[in-house]
Amino acid sequence: MFTPHFRHIVFLLLIINFSCRNDSKEKSAILFWCSNNSNEIKLCTAFTNAWNSNNNPKIHIQPVPEGQSSEEVILAAVVGKTTPDIYANMWQGNVEMYAKAGVLVALDTLNGFLEFMHERCDSSVISEITSADGHIYQVPWKVNPILTIYNKNIFRANGITLPKTYTAYRQAAGVLKHNTKDSTTKKRFGYTAVKPIWYEMRFNFYPLYLAASGGGNLIKDNKAVFNNKYAIGVFRFLQSLYRDDFFSKESTGASKDVFASQDIATKWTGPWEISYLNNLPNRGFEYDYYQQIVPDDHAGPIYTYADPKNIVIFNTTLDAQASWEFIKTLISKEGDLQLMQLTGQLPRRKNVETDPFYSNFLQTNPMMMPFVKQLPFVKGDDNSEVIVEVLDIISQEYEACVVYGNKTPEKAIADAANAVNVLLGKQDK
Amino acid sequence: MSMPLKKRKGSRGQKLLPYLMVSPYMIFVLVFVLFPVLFCFFLTFHKWNIIAPMKFIAADNYIRLFQDRLFWKAIGNTLKFLLLHIPLQLIVSLTLAYLLNQKIRAGAFFRASFFMPVIVSGVVVTILWQQLLGFDSGLINRLLTSIGLAKVGWLVNPDIAIYSIAVMATWKNVGLYVILFLVGLQTVPPQYYEAAKMEGATRWQQFYHITLPMINPTIFMVVILSTIGGFNLFIEPYIMTGGGPLNQTLSAVLYIYKQAFQYYNMGYSATLGFFYAIMIMTVVILQKKFIEKEV
Repeated sequence: MFTPHFRHIVFLLLIINFSCRNDSKEKSAILFWCSNNSNEIKLCTAFTNAWNSNNNPKIHIQPVPEGQSSEEVILAAVVGKTTPDIYANMWQGNVEMYAKAGVLVALDTLNGFLEFMHERCDSSVISEITSADGHIYQVPWKVNPILTIYNKNIFRANGITLPKTYTAYRQAAGVLKHNTKDSTTKKRFGYTAVKPIWYEMRFNFYPLYLAASGGGNLIKDNKAVFNNKYAIGVFRFLQSLYRDDFFSKESTGASKDVFASQDIATKWTGPWEISYLNNLPNRGFEYDYYQQIVPDDHAGPIYTYADPKNIVIFNTTLDAQASWEFIKTLISKEGDLQLMQLTGQLPRRKNVETDPFYSNFLQTNPMMMPFVKQLPFVKGDDNSEVIVEVLDIISQEYEACVVYGNKTPEKAIADAANAVNVLLGKQDK
Repeated sequence: MSMPLKKRKGSRGQKLLPYLMVSPYMIFVLVFVLFPVLFCFFLTFHKWNIIAPMKFIAADNYIRLFQDRLFWKAIGNTLKFLLLHIPLQLIVSLTLAYLLNQKIRAGAFFRASFFMPVIVSGVVVTILWQQLLGFDSGLINRLLTSIGLAKVGWLVNPDIAIYSIAVMATWKNVGLYVILFLVGLQTVPPQYYEAAKMEGATRWQQFYHITLPMINPTIFMVVILSTIGGFNLFIEPYIMTGGGPLNQTLSAVLYIYKQAFQYYNMGYSATLGFFYAIMIMTVVILQKKFIEKEV
């Protein structure tokens, strides 16, 4: 009935079909995705090898596949049901969305999890990572607190002492702008990204808000709670910096590091700058870090944003308990020391500053001290599945009010809070 | 006398063979065109963040679309962009093509030079222009300040940022349209010009009464291509401004992208996309009706 040609074509299609089929063998190892940062690969590989020499099931380590961002890769993996068993670079802000979708293992149901967590972290951290449904879906692993970096040479040349409050910061910026003797800089005191994009809020508005409010929330009980004097004060402070030309409205993107090129004197950033700046050839200036800028009448500890990256176990896992046992080794005291030594990031662990186990490292790495001292006063992201959209709404108002001065801080914050409440209301439906 | 052609009664396999031959393309169209379009339409009635189960919400996404001021602002921005981009593209490319159509030295060199930006990646071109248009450190502003003029906020001034992007996009694409116009110009028979010259027509009269009507199909094609390309404005604002300042460079496609891949509002994003596609189609049909004339 069929011609030979036709039969050949059908046969060819069948070969193609079978050759494209997945190997459906049962998996026998736990798949562990770590960040694709070379130092983290080294760290995670060492702990994987140590586990594999004594334990079963074995761990297969793989850096998170390349993509525009690791968040997109994870999302694609979730959609394609190709998630790893363990993922160790999850932005805290994304966890709630995945938890609600039911793709994560509730870690508090695993043996020994809560005991271990209470030993490692403060109760405030545990309540911060607890989801709306009362379960915990993430292991708080590492943080990069956002502090103020400053160029010591520019400060010295202009007779500026560390400006810790809004008024002092503005005065120092004025000194730099009006000093005609020092030609080392372009007279800008600082820089924050002006693009209205959610993630930039984590490096300007949000750390300043946390500092002013003593670690206040943006969202609580599914309502916006940032329409307060702290948020308004932050907007007013930042607005004055743009209005008086202390900060540039230019979007420099990734094409230029304005701090490294000494175009600015200060910036809000994390500890990752240390290894970057120390490896710069002919850097030509000294630098250091200090805490976030606070309102003039601020009292109490100064909080900042932690920029937390946590560990999760996906519910496609081969063995949740074994995965957790492996994670325990990675976040042990020894694991945390190696995290600091190899990657320059900090563990979300209590008493790092006072624990003798870390004293040797801290003595030999004094640049890390401001970050270690900050550890008890860091905060991550509020648990909301729409936190990205919330930050984006704030970024829109930030641009209109802070950068372009088109709205008063009061109106901008009120508008942002209203928009966030509308958004959160829709999520309820 | 020719024999009547007898229809050959082939086997079933032979009858199926033509279908099999076209099946790879049909499968491609079904999988990558028809299915996504139908799925997109299906999504417009749902709320879906990719990972959680879909939820049927009837026409809520459409109601939201008509109430979404930011979407309409993005549409307005895109139209503003088109308003400058299309005429600029037409005038610049036609002028350059007209000049290149004359007997000039190094014509091939100029043709290649004008075409060069077309083959360079859009991201590279955008980053290059970002260096040119920067406020503090941009080359153009440095040039202006060096001759005592004030700096211009090419990308930070809300009133002019979209036009800066339109100029940049024109620079990027003009080479393609120069080539199209050049082909069009070379199809005009030289006898027409000779006859016009004998009748005493000036160069402008020749251009207006002979060249323009003769290249009308090319003009139509350039307008259509620039319109569709302009409606798809994305890379430039995505990289250079993120849609700012004050949402003045937020294009419709960038907004649709944000809804889909920043907020994971797939249902709403599909609704915007569907609506936008219909809008583009309507504009192109209207253009066809009003611009295209029989030569």
